[in-house]
Amino acid sequence: MREILQSANSTPTPHRLGANSPVVLIVLLALLCIAISIGSSRFYAIENITAILRQCALVLIIGSGMTLLLIAAEVDLSVGASMAFAGMIAMDVTNQTGSVWLGAAAGILFGGLVGLVNAIIVTRLKVKSLIATIAAMMILQGGVFLYSRQAIQNNNQLPAFTAISTGFFGPVPVPVLIAAIIFICTYIVLRHTLFGRYVYAVGSNPQAARLSGLNPERLKQILFIVTGLLAGLSGLILASLMNAGQPTAGRGFELTVIAAVILGGTSLNGGRGTLLGTLLGVLILQVINDGIIILGWDQELQLVVPGIVIVLAAYLDIVRRRAGAR
Amino acid sequence: MTKPLGQLLAILATLAVMMVPAWAANMPRRIGYVTNYATHEWYQNVIKGMKARAAELGIAFEVRDANLDVNKEVSAAEDFMSQGVDVLIITPVNEGIVPLVRRAKEQGIPLVLEGSPVKRMTTMVATCDYDTGYLAGVEAGNYAMNHLGGMAKVMNVGLPLLSATVLRAHGFMDGLRTIVPNARLANDIDGGGNPDTALAASTAALARNADINIIYGINDSSAQGGLQAWKASGRSQKNLLVVGTGGEGLGFIHSMNTEPAYKIEAAMFPEKEGFTAIDTAVKLFNKQSVPLHIVSPSAAIVGADGWKKYYSVGENVRTIKWDAVNRLTPPANCMKTSAPF
Repeated sequence: MREILQSANSTPTPHRLGANSPVVLIVLLALLCIAISIGSSRFYAIENITAILRQCALVLIIGSGMTLLLIAAEVDLSVGASMAFAGMIAMDVTNQTGSVWLGAAAGILFGGLVGLVNAIIVTRLKVKSLIATIAAMMILQGGVFLYSRQAIQNNNQLPAFTAISTGFFGPVPVPVLIAAIIFICTYIVLRHTLFGRYVYAVGSNPQAARLSGLNPERLKQILFIVTGLLAGLSGLILASLMNAGQPTAGRGFELTVIAAVILGGTSLNGGRGTLLGTLLGVLILQVINDGIIILGWDQELQLVVPGIVIVLAAYLDIVRRRAGAR
Repeated sequence: MTKPLGQLLAILATLAVMMVPAWAANMPRRIGYVTNYATHEWYQNVIKGMKARAAELGIAFEVRDANLDVNKEVSAAEDFMSQGVDVLIITPVNEGIVPLVRRAKEQGIPLVLEGSPVKRMTTMVATCDYDTGYLAGVEAGNYAMNHLGGMAKVMNVGLPLLSATVLRAHGFMDGLRTIVPNARLANDIDGGGNPDTALAASTAALARNADINIIYGINDSSAQGGLQAWKASGRSQKNLLVVGTGGEGLGFIHSMNTEPAYKIEAAMFPEKEGFTAIDTAVKLFNKQSVPLHIVSPSAAIVGADGWKKYYSVGENVRTIKWDAVNRLTPPANCMKTSAPF
């Protein structure tokens, strides 16, 4: 056991990556902020910073779970579809019961249920997570229209429901506070607990992890369920933001999340990555998105520029690894 | 006395026997409709109108969804043609259906387009997008003069990909400027036509132009996304006007009921468009002459209770008030159009 944990802490460690990757990302983020603010002084307006943070919140919430999954060498592509369905259920249950708490619980638990089903398919039926979660995405995207073909409106117009997304805790928007709490919790778990070390170990070498007494399947099940619960929570916040459950919401959101996580230095092959990197990846992508609109550029660039940034980040990562290998 | 009555009854009976087959022959037995995106509320209500009218006329009616895929659309239409539908109705995904239009003509199958024009079409049932935006723009101008101190700084939550939605936004600004000549389009963003993209894009746009006081959405989702971004930024709706377009589903009714700034809806009555498409299909089947563009009516709905003139809502389902909608007189021609003719 000690050997496998040491192995997880040596070559593909968060520490070694942390010595390089965040610095590059912080410099990139700073350069972006300076460049955009030269183009438009509105960039540093409090309301714009608040808007960026609010946009980051949804991506960061799921991104925290996705980082753990990717480090464990698994992926969940159903999170966007799960978000939409969870938002519909949260709104529907809120309408039926008149209770925002029950609606919120139903939406989040639905996300967890999707995560559990994904976990069973991947760990018990041994279907690759890429395939299993693409299938789950398709089932959820179709299933949500069987559930309701129309958007589910906030029929009772409960202000508490919209407060989930538009409310403030002091000067901090509620979604930002929620994202911060989740980020800190997952950060502590990943960096400072045995469970976090197991995640790296399982992602680095599952066979070795198993031989040393770990149960990789059980650990992956937990990670799928956690990611699902976080997708449910994001779905709830998104439904609250739109004041309705929208069946088409969240399309492509999984790619935004994965792009941010990869940009943050997490390896698709597992065993490597940090939550700090994910936070920076989320911030960089959202600053780019915001900057394109603030500068009045063509919005198609919102797809083009992050694509280029991710390729550059992946290349820098390869360069860093080669340097580390020497 | 009985003899003339008997003769009259015999004549009436003969006429009735002659009339029934004649009436039946003038009605298509089966109409197939290929929609481009059945999951959108607009098309769900178009289909609702079509089903209602087809049922009234005793016509079997079937729907297939292309789900925004032109290949799927062509394949579904060809299936209908091979199964021998009497009339085909299509909402084009894009110009990729032009060869299909030609094949339908060659095979003598009447084809009605709904929503968007393509080359070589026989006829199309659609609202005038520019005019719809224009009508709402005039109402927005009146509102701006009366409640916003004559100022109009507009954020258009648009969809530049589609010519129809671009026309709506142009119409809105032109209509607005007839009342407020110095109205300014402060921000023209791509909201993707869906609420979450509209919300995300509007969030940054509102930060860029803090003095916006009118949000125009090219559809209801865009307007609602823009409004939600406004609310999320913690601003008051006191000096804001939100204008939606489409009247697609329940969303705009909820917004008009509950959101203080959501005052104007450029309603396009999808049920009526579906209803008219079926009537046009019957006319084509009977080889009657029809115009290239049959205009479906639109109207600017103003104020919190304005929608009640055209819709009623019960059990979270809206029902169109046909009498009120049928009283609307659409223009014979659109002020501007993107049609290739």
